[in-house]
Amino acid sequence: MKRGAGGENLLKADIKICWVMALRSEAMPVIDAFNMSIVSNELLFPVYMNAENDHALVISGTGPAKSAAGATYLKSFLDVKSYAAWINLGIAGYFKEPTGKLFQALKVEHHDSRRAYFPGLRLSKFVDGCALSTVSKPEVNFPDQVLYDMEAAGFCELAPTFSCNELTYVFKVVSDTPFTKASLVTKKVVTNLIENHIGTISKLVGSIGELVKDEKNRLVISHEVNHYLENFQFTNSNRVKFQQIYKKWKSAFPNKTLNALNYTPTSARELITRLEQDLLDEVKDWNLV
Amino acid sequence: MIDTVYVEEKILDHPITKNVIKSVPTADIIKINRYQELFNKRYQNFRLQKKNPSLILAKKYDNFVLPVPSGFGMNAQKNFYFSHMYNCIYDCRYCFLQGMYSSANYVLFVNYNDFFESISDTIEAQTSSSLTFYSGYDCDSLAFDKVSGFSKHALDFFSKQPSVELELRTKSIVTSSLMKRDPIENCVVAFSLSPPKIASILDNKAPSIEKRTIALKQLANAGWPIGLRFDPLIYCSGWENMYSNLIADIMHDLNPSSLHSVSHGPLRFPKKMYKKISSLHPENKLFSFPMIEKGGIVSYGKGIENTMSSFLKMELLKYTTQSKIFRCTV
Repeated sequence: MKRGAGGENLLKADIKICWVMALRSEAMPVIDAFNMSIVSNELLFPVYMNAENDHALVISGTGPAKSAAGATYLKSFLDVKSYAAWINLGIAGYFKEPTGKLFQALKVEHHDSRRAYFPGLRLSKFVDGCALSTVSKPEVNFPDQVLYDMEAAGFCELAPTFSCNELTYVFKVVSDTPFTKASLVTKKVVTNLIENHIGTISKLVGSIGELVKDEKNRLVISHEVNHYLENFQFTNSNRVKFQQIYKKWKSAFPNKTLNALNYTPTSARELITRLEQDLLDEVKDWNLV
Repeated sequence: MIDTVYVEEKILDHPITKNVIKSVPTADIIKINRYQELFNKRYQNFRLQKKNPSLILAKKYDNFVLPVPSGFGMNAQKNFYFSHMYNCIYDCRYCFLQGMYSSANYVLFVNYNDFFESISDTIEAQTSSSLTFYSGYDCDSLAFDKVSGFSKHALDFFSKQPSVELELRTKSIVTSSLMKRDPIENCVVAFSLSPPKIASILDNKAPSIEKRTIALKQLANAGWPIGLRFDPLIYCSGWENMYSNLIADIMHDLNPSSLHSVSHGPLRFPKKMYKKISSLHPENKLFSFPMIEKGGIVSYGKGIENTMSSFLKMELLKYTTQSKIFRCTV
């Protein structure tokens, strides 16, 4: 695989914010704002990333299937972990003026299948909310009081399975209405529409980043656990048991480390028993903090 | 503050829906078909969703009234519960709702009258038994009352059913709907209580014990029957003094005749539920305690449970009679 500027950072990247965007003209302001570089020109989908701020972006092309495929590709290509957030940002039609307004999609319905998705936590401090309908061709009649796009339902079908629903977000900027025809929306207009909201988008990313941090703290397995898992023979059940008892032990003794126990277990079982005994010894003086 | 309300299309014009929406004027209103579209779905994260839950207004079609699990409740021969709401505005670390649902959004069923009709049918079918109906099983009975207005409807109904009891179980101090009406003899306001230090750590977003104590005494003075619920009992260093002082503080200047019942129960979880809840909060010391699993139930174990239970009973007997003290086992 031929890699570009981001290639050498692929292995050490711990991607936390994943962008899935249909068009290059939509993506460019985000790529610039978060200083992402293209990983390679020769991939199935163009992928950009910044290993310093842990952002990655894929340009999926239009349509729900491509959006889902692009997200899946990004997930597997960068081995994105289950605590990362997934954001679909793009332009959308809306039943009324003005164009240029940014919305958080609170309900995404696939027009053809009628399947509905409810992505994300509400971020009402920064952005208004609205329902969205994903249609197979650009909407010109705007029959309902909702946003109209061509990707979000495909994105919402898969992205929550990579992390969770509360780390999946859809944001749309109104580009066309009954009075502003889609045919007038040039690439430059699209770029400007997104660019105008980079300030708000950065704030949204800040809030989402806090959720990612919270989820990573909950899920991540510490280095010292990995060290013992690599250096001792664990059965599958002992492996799970060790991770569980370690979490309890660490919660009870946050300042202790396994290395500082002055104790060298001869087996995985012995290590688990030692941690269990530490907890039992603490029962009499148990504190809740 | 509720900033998003999802409403089933069929109940958009229901008067309760309209009142609720009026009480959250800045919220976005999103139409849905059925609440199950977004409640308790796969890939939802209770812990994250709890940071900003949305409200879902829905209609319930069946199972309005259900028998309570055995070991729950007082001395009525038959106990039932009804859930006009799923989930709670508080975030108590031991709450079983975290393990019950993958969704922290609040579901409010607006067809209150269907609940009351079903309760009437249950009462008619059980003429030979004493009955108690619990409203605070899947939610706090009063905490959401400013938005739902449910207690007024429930009290209007139960005031006309003097042969059965209603228990409103709560940690809330939103008691205005009760204080502005005459007390109803068969409606018990039961407060969930823990020692202040424990509550300050575990009862996130809930009113302090000091405030709950003031609220329960105000209701008692106004003539409402009061229940005290020490459930779950939480073990930690110094628990004896903590519970002893808590009981003394509550009983101080509480009119004994206003005390309907006192119950206490152990901290217990079905194994699967414990696994789910503890995985949501692996950093919390409540879940790092070396619990014992027996028969599919995770608990402190019989030793601690019995010691705490006996102690509680001994302390309570200083202030009330044995006939008012109950030990719950679920």
